[in-house]
Amino acid sequence: MKQHSFEKLLQQDAPPPDPAARLAARRAALAEFAKANPPVEIAPAPERRGVFQALLGALRLSRDNDHGSDSMPLFSRKAYFGAAASVCLAIVGSTVVWKTFQQDPSVGQLSARSDVPAARSAEVVSSEASSSKADAAETAVAGPESSAPAEDARLADAQARRDQDKLAEKRAADEKKAEELMARMQAIPEPEDPVIEQYQEQPIETPAAAGASAAAPALAKSGADNAAGAKEKDAETQEVVVTGTRGSLQASMETKRDAVGEIQEVVVTSADRKPATPHKGVAPPARTARNRSSGDSYSYEPPPAPPPAQITSGRIGTKIEPTSVRPQPEGNDKFEHFEVNSIKQPAIEAERVSTFSADVDTSSYSFVRKQLEQGHLPQKDAVRAEEMINYFDYAWPAADSREQPFRPTIVVSDSPWGKGRKLIHIGIKGYEIPANKRPDANIVMLLDVSGSMNQPDKLPLVKQSMKLLLGSLKPTDTVGIVVYAGAAGMVLPPTPVGEKERITSALDSLTPGGSTAGAAGIELAYQLAENSFRKEGLNRILLCTDGDFNVGIAGTEELKGFVERKREKGVYLSVLGFGQGNYRDELAQALAQNGNGVAAYIDSVSEAQKVLVQQAGASLFTIAKDVKFQVEFNPATVAEYRQIGYETRALKQEDFNNDKVDAGDVGAGHTVTAIYEITPVGEKARMIEKSRYVKQPEVTGNMAEYGHLKMRYKLPGQDTSTLIEQPIAVDSGRASETIQRDVGFSTAVAGFAQLLRGGQYTGSLGYDDIIKQALATRGEDAFGYRSEFVQLVRKADAAK
Amino acid sequence: MTETQQETRMDDLALIRRAQAGDQTAFGDLLDLYYDTIFRFAWKWCRHRANAEDIAQLACIKLANSLAQFRFQAAFTSWLYRLVISCAQDWQRSQGRHEHDDLADAEPSAVEARGEDQIYLLQLLAELDDLGEGMKETALLVHGEGLSHAEAGVVLGVSESTISWRLHVIRKHMGKREAKVSESV
Repeated sequence: MKQHSFEKLLQQDAPPPDPAARLAARRAALAEFAKANPPVEIAPAPERRGVFQALLGALRLSRDNDHGSDSMPLFSRKAYFGAAASVCLAIVGSTVVWKTFQQDPSVGQLSARSDVPAARSAEVVSSEASSSKADAAETAVAGPESSAPAEDARLADAQARRDQDKLAEKRAADEKKAEELMARMQAIPEPEDPVIEQYQEQPIETPAAAGASAAAPALAKSGADNAAGAKEKDAETQEVVVTGTRGSLQASMETKRDAVGEIQEVVVTSADRKPATPHKGVAPPARTARNRSSGDSYSYEPPPAPPPAQITSGRIGTKIEPTSVRPQPEGNDKFEHFEVNSIKQPAIEAERVSTFSADVDTSSYSFVRKQLEQGHLPQKDAVRAEEMINYFDYAWPAADSREQPFRPTIVVSDSPWGKGRKLIHIGIKGYEIPANKRPDANIVMLLDVSGSMNQPDKLPLVKQSMKLLLGSLKPTDTVGIVVYAGAAGMVLPPTPVGEKERITSALDSLTPGGSTAGAAGIELAYQLAENSFRKEGLNRILLCTDGDFNVGIAGTEELKGFVERKREKGVYLSVLGFGQGNYRDELAQALAQNGNGVAAYIDSVSEAQKVLVQQAGASLFTIAKDVKFQVEFNPATVAEYRQIGYETRALKQEDFNNDKVDAGDVGAGHTVTAIYEITPVGEKARMIEKSRYVKQPEVTGNMAEYGHLKMRYKLPGQDTSTLIEQPIAVDSGRASETIQRDVGFSTAVAGFAQLLRGGQYTGSLGYDDIIKQALATRGEDAFGYRSEFVQLVRKADAAK
Repeated sequence: MTETQQETRMDDLALIRRAQAGDQTAFGDLLDLYYDTIFRFAWKWCRHRANAEDIAQLACIKLANSLAQFRFQAAFTSWLYRLVISCAQDWQRSQGRHEHDDLADAEPSAVEARGEDQIYLLQLLAELDDLGEGMKETALLVHGEGLSHAEAGVVLGVSESTISWRLHVIRKHMGKREAKVSESV
């Protein structure tokens, strides 16, 4: 309701503009236009002034700006000349450094080892040049706005020459810094004073400066912290000035990422307005200078025609939306393909028994939800009925001891979509460990901070989620953080949750960047977990990723094997998926299964809340592992049966008793629900007709049971399984009200999942029927998940 | 490409071309034609006449400087929206860091005429702004200006699905807000 009125309010039209204001704006703009389009060829002079102002903006050394529109022309004009300035400065700086290389063999070695530091120091120098030059510029521009631009230029040129001399003196210091940087690049440092904070403290006085600082958080990499740290004493902010159009900028940033894995603050200066007019004495274009200083690692394209999206150029610090740096790949989410379970006949011996593994994952539901929220139906393979059903909590009675962590609840009800057919619900609820009895946890977060995580629903959500998780841990539990991107690194050694500040600030300092290549992220995480291994406790790695599992071990199979071996050692792995477009669900599933963990898909803070707070116990503390189910159907009473979901969890019949075969794990308080649809003998609803040729013998026997359920599980730390058995009675008596209700709701979810997969067996069941049933069985719904489900069904109805 | 171009009237396109070539009268005409669009959008952004006028003026000035960068690859209005948004953001920053206090102080004056609705909306917009980058702009473009998700994506330089996602977040936020309000009642 409110949402509606909010939209209404937004639509409310603006009042008509005031003619006087219109006139004023027109006049100002026209004056500006006249300046920007002088009748003669573009005079270099005003361009220079633009340069200085641009620098002022970029370096935040600007003079006081009396808020208000009348001072704006001054600042908006400077922007498109910024490019020229940056080019010149980059050249000055890199030339100086180039000379240094030639003279100093030690620096030469550096550049031989990697081109990167050389280039880096080139930029360091160039930015220093720019800052000191900006001092000059400040004096130059401090005069009235109309002061002769030529004079500015002369002043600045002189100053630039002086700066060059100064720079020579600074060489030694710079070499040192280059080395320092090099050293720091070896490992991802412990984050201290994140760069973003630093910017907020800086007074922001011109729009351009603000723009520049806005660009900073988006692009600042952990490396910026390095630079900030290294240069603190200088009280000057280091900036890498990259010049070019956005297209080439992007290219160069990519190159840098690959080369360095990190990048200093980037101030984007658009240069496409006009080609930078060469100033006397510093004629060569930027690429030459760069190529000379850094070999080929930054082969720099001359600015091509600007891309269409380039709209905001024309001011310093063109803001690059995080998403435009790395466009979100679409439709690359990968799901394992599977066919839905077909109808089986207990009369046929080979089909009499159904065996499957427990599945407590819920990622399918979250993914489906995300798709539906965006107005389209999910791809069929993304819909796994069992995960959708198990997303919800049901009131199956829990076991009351840790030794037998669950007991099955079996309910037989009429199938809402098949007349004459019945549904058999098999539900278990894991034993809930009281908070004070929870084992100590040793958790290592393995976070993907690659460039592709640079989206609001990825890294920021990861950070929030991890902070939520801290809330559900004990103060004595430890948390370590390992990140992987261009390089893997430990951000935080295992730290007690009691020192929450340290953990949160470490999380806050993470910035996305770099390709997901390389280093041994996962190995490092396991190493960390093993170092602080808690024998009696829980040791778990939480892998947070958007699908790039390139964590250092190439090859899916190898990765799975690695995770499996580590599982034997007692370190488990859970996978939390984020974002979409590149999500590799099947691999997340496989890894979590091999790692005795859950795979959850986090699409929102509330989902994180559910997985990491409300169900923290379930997600973190395994109470039983290798939980397998086996149902033998009674051919005397059941003509046909079909299991809803669990296609990807099917086990071979002989695997049930084989303790070597891995199966799903159940966490504290988890509910697992399996549903079979059966056609009792004698009902006309049979889908498979009787054979014309083979006369099936009438089976007589136990008419009181539909089948027999067997379950096997291992307690954590055990290698042999325990068996639970329970017959499925034809007349099981009426279950309690709440159980009836939850059977109803899970049936609705099962119906929905089947419809999303095409509704092969659901007859005339429609979304309306599901909504009706879900509403009727919604119950208390304290967290609103069931209501949300109803909304989802509505959305699916609209999207079909 | 031609499709988007058609969205901008042919006359306007000719006008833009002439202005890009440095024709002052053409630029003046262009301003007359589009000042309304600029001002109205600026107003929706800040909901305050004087501020909207400031932003609009900034945008006009910026237009003078950056018109040459318009490449006819998107509708001119989309391009203009983006320009206004960036001016509005610059303007907001130039208003200083104590922006939030300002908002609280200035509320009575910031809200003209329409009373409670406006206060409510102003609060909401501020909340959206806090919610994340581009949230407010997304809401304004899609709900306020009636742009499609794809168009809004073009304006904000993000993918269509990002827009959809943002709207989803906004919707969620509204829902939560709603829940809070009804709880406290």
